[in-house]
Amino acid sequence: MGQAEKQRSPLRINLDILNAIQEMGDAKPTHILYKANLSHDRLVKYLDELGSKGLIEVHEEGENRTYRVTSKGVGFLIEMRRAESFVQGFGLAI
Amino acid sequence: MALGPLLVFILNVCSAVVAFLTSYYAYKFRHVADNPVLDSIAFGFMLLGVGLLIEAGTSAVVGQTLLQQFLSKILAVVETFAYLSLQMVAYLVFAVGYATLAWRRSSKAVVMGLVALVAAPRAVDVFGVYRYAVVSYFVVLVLLGFVVFQGALIHSRSPSRFSLLVLVAFLLIMAAHVVLLVSVVTLSEYLFLAGTAIQFLGFVSLFAFLLRSGRVGTG
Repeated sequence: MGQAEKQRSPLRINLDILNAIQEMGDAKPTHILYKANLSHDRLVKYLDELGSKGLIEVHEEGENRTYRVTSKGVGFLIEMRRAESFVQGFGLAI
Repeated sequence: MALGPLLVFILNVCSAVVAFLTSYYAYKFRHVADNPVLDSIAFGFMLLGVGLLIEAGTSAVVGQTLLQQFLSKILAVVETFAYLSLQMVAYLVFAVGYATLAWRRSSKAVVMGLVALVAAPRAVDVFGVYRYAVVSYFVVLVLLGFVVFQGALIHSRSPSRFSLLVLVAFLLIMAAHVVLLVSVVTLSEYLFLAGTAIQFLGFVSLFAFLLRSGRVGTG
């Protein structure tokens, strides 16, 4: 685990994952892993959490598994980006 | 109603709306950043909004600006003490909020400077109402100086258009208080109106910040 990852809050990690998935459309776990800079175990934990909240959905075709941001997830991302820009104005970060 | 009080009424009501909006968003997003500074911002802007509404309401009811009340010796106790005190507490809350942030970033020297400022409002009890107004504007000015200094540090560390708009807002509000202080000392009605207008421009910058941050993520 890198220093940067240690400093990220759980919310920040969830947002990085959601951003990575949204950027790619249908995202494979390896791509999310790379983009969100997480270990495999932690990624699985966070993906389960996001899935249980209905923010992402899983598509399985044979052995291929991809993730997609749901409409609820898109709404969550928009709200969090607004929150992030607001707190940025006062020198804070998510 | 004469033009002066009408202008003060309109500008202060608009400024109060922006103050309440800022307070609402700071309250709404306080869990996201998990930082007490957002609580200070929410509370401080709420107090400021109430103070501005009190001043606007008094201007409308009495038909005079705060300065005209000094000149005609009709000192509205509610306005003088409520508005000026609320304003002073609001900026003190901002300053303490930013000081907490500075403390967390180990800028203890800056915080020590604030400790001296916190004691300043106690001294005003012994003065009369007019002197209270002068001293409270001065205290607010010093507190705003601290807030602007912290805002400049924040913007220099991680520059963004959002932190720039907030910095410009506090800079304009501070400039307004320089003009307001001079207007109270010299009893100049024009300067008082100019100070209120500059303060309004500060809230316009804050409103631009709210609009821009609200648009993020929708494009």
